[in-house]
Amino acid sequence: MPFTALIQEFEERRARAMAMGGAEKLAKRKAQGILNARERVDYLLDAGSFNESGLFAASARPEVREKTPADGKVCGFGYVKGRPVGVISNDFTVMGASSAMVNQKKVKHVKGVANKRGFPMIFLGETSGARMPDRMGASGRAIIGQDGAEYQRLRKSPWASALLGNCFGHSAWYACLSDFVVMRKGATLAVASHRVAEKAIGRAITAEELGGWKMHTRVSGLVDMAVDTDEEALEAVKRFLSYMPGHHNEAPPKCAVPENAGEACKDMLSLLPESRSQIYDVRKIINTIVDPGSLFELKAGFGKGIVTGLTRLNGNTVGFIANNPLQKGGALDVDACNKVVSFLVLCDSFNIPLVFLVDVPGFLIGLEGEMRGAPGRIINWVNALSQVTVPKISIIMRKSYGKAYLNMGGGKNSDEVACWPTADLGFVDPAVGVNILHGLKEEDDPVRFRELAAQISQDSAVWGLAALYETQSVIDPRETRNYLIRTLDFHSMRLTNGVGEHLICNWPTTF
Amino acid sequence: MAKIEVKSEITGTVWKVQCAPGDHVEAGAVLVIVESMKMEIPVMTEDAGVVETILVKEKDPVVEGQVVAVLEG
Repeated sequence: MPFTALIQEFEERRARAMAMGGAEKLAKRKAQGILNARERVDYLLDAGSFNESGLFAASARPEVREKTPADGKVCGFGYVKGRPVGVISNDFTVMGASSAMVNQKKVKHVKGVANKRGFPMIFLGETSGARMPDRMGASGRAIIGQDGAEYQRLRKSPWASALLGNCFGHSAWYACLSDFVVMRKGATLAVASHRVAEKAIGRAITAEELGGWKMHTRVSGLVDMAVDTDEEALEAVKRFLSYMPGHHNEAPPKCAVPENAGEACKDMLSLLPESRSQIYDVRKIINTIVDPGSLFELKAGFGKGIVTGLTRLNGNTVGFIANNPLQKGGALDVDACNKVVSFLVLCDSFNIPLVFLVDVPGFLIGLEGEMRGAPGRIINWVNALSQVTVPKISIIMRKSYGKAYLNMGGGKNSDEVACWPTADLGFVDPAVGVNILHGLKEEDDPVRFRELAAQISQDSAVWGLAALYETQSVIDPRETRNYLIRTLDFHSMRLTNGVGEHLICNWPTTF
Repeated sequence: MAKIEVKSEITGTVWKVQCAPGDHVEAGAVLVIVESMKMEIPVMTEDAGVVETILVKEKDPVVEGQVVAVLEG
């Protein structure tokens, strides 16, 4: 055979690169039930579809060239459920997948192609941070900062990150730039490791406290979802992408509608309590409206007074923003505001229509919120909402009190408003209203108090709003699914083939 | 085993205590109901565990972030 020696060298070099950081390190991971970088790529992509970019790349420092297969980052292109994606899978067995000159070139190339040709990027993390000694001293400074747009995010295509181990440096930064972040329990996302942090703050701290899943799904809000295994994390990435278009200039894909879709909506009246003092879980209401099993909730553990989730309605991707009285009575705090803004930005950037389900007693009043800049967060939300150009439909189910009426799409803050007959358009709860307007407490004069409360309730009923044409429709709650399917169809963006204006595509990814 | 502090997310008045020391509770279980903003708002645990101490009783005022129960979990 001609070229035998060259082909043999090619095969040998390929085998060395594919061996990653060596059998021992790989066996250790396997024993822990953790996938390696190449297994993750295989699990993520359609079988045999990986087009690797930079298999033979290695460190720029000759003395470690043989120890740096693929320079620690497995990069390339492939297909997820038949649709193209770019992928960066960090190989922790090669120098902790630390960032260095050559692997940064690989990341830049794959990311650039995804941006330019219009497909999603997927980042599979675990990274230790900057590689040493490459990044030390003045010559180290001269390596970084060579791409002024390295951390620029204009949301031209969806980005998803899976945090699957220690994530400092590269994996942390790219997770924070991503539209969707899933974390395997046991992984850590932080600026620096807990050992470094312990020295800095002078007290013992665990990795879980510093940057574990509970912290990030409940406190920082940087992680959308936590799962138990690598495989579940990769499934979550695939599911997220199934709702998304390939890029910002196309509408999201349409899916088949399950046969029993719409059945559950007939039971809607049993889900909403008649008494306004009672709470319920709004996710049950969303589930009766949307295609069965299609609710994909984001940041479920963060800002829990409001639910944000991707769904399908008649096979089309729709984003739901729903007050959840189960948590804080549905009152909106700073975390809830930040969560909603991030969801508005996601949906508007990727041409996903929005539905608001409204039952809100107002913004949470109190010292903590004010200290965290609550007024600024509230107005961020209305500012972002005013720049949203995808269709917005607001359904007022029960309370829509105070200024939160605007945040939840009241008036001209959405394209159409529909009310259930149970809608309550007061400024506050009627009992509180009597106290504020008339200075009367219930124990002072119970009869007069009840009369005044009834008067306030009457003024707040849906019929007044309908007469003023501030709600375009009053609908039977059981008709909600059908109403939304029809109304979203009338409002579909025909003139631009379902593509919005993306005025908030450069909104910060954390704020 | 770790101590899990379950906090009220809202300022209000304790309306009902729904658990007792020694109870095994699942994630999402309602331990206490707080009356606030004219609503009955549950204090739920995010993690499963065994109730060790309940720190409030009916009609007690609670503030946002106050620990109402401690679990062993």
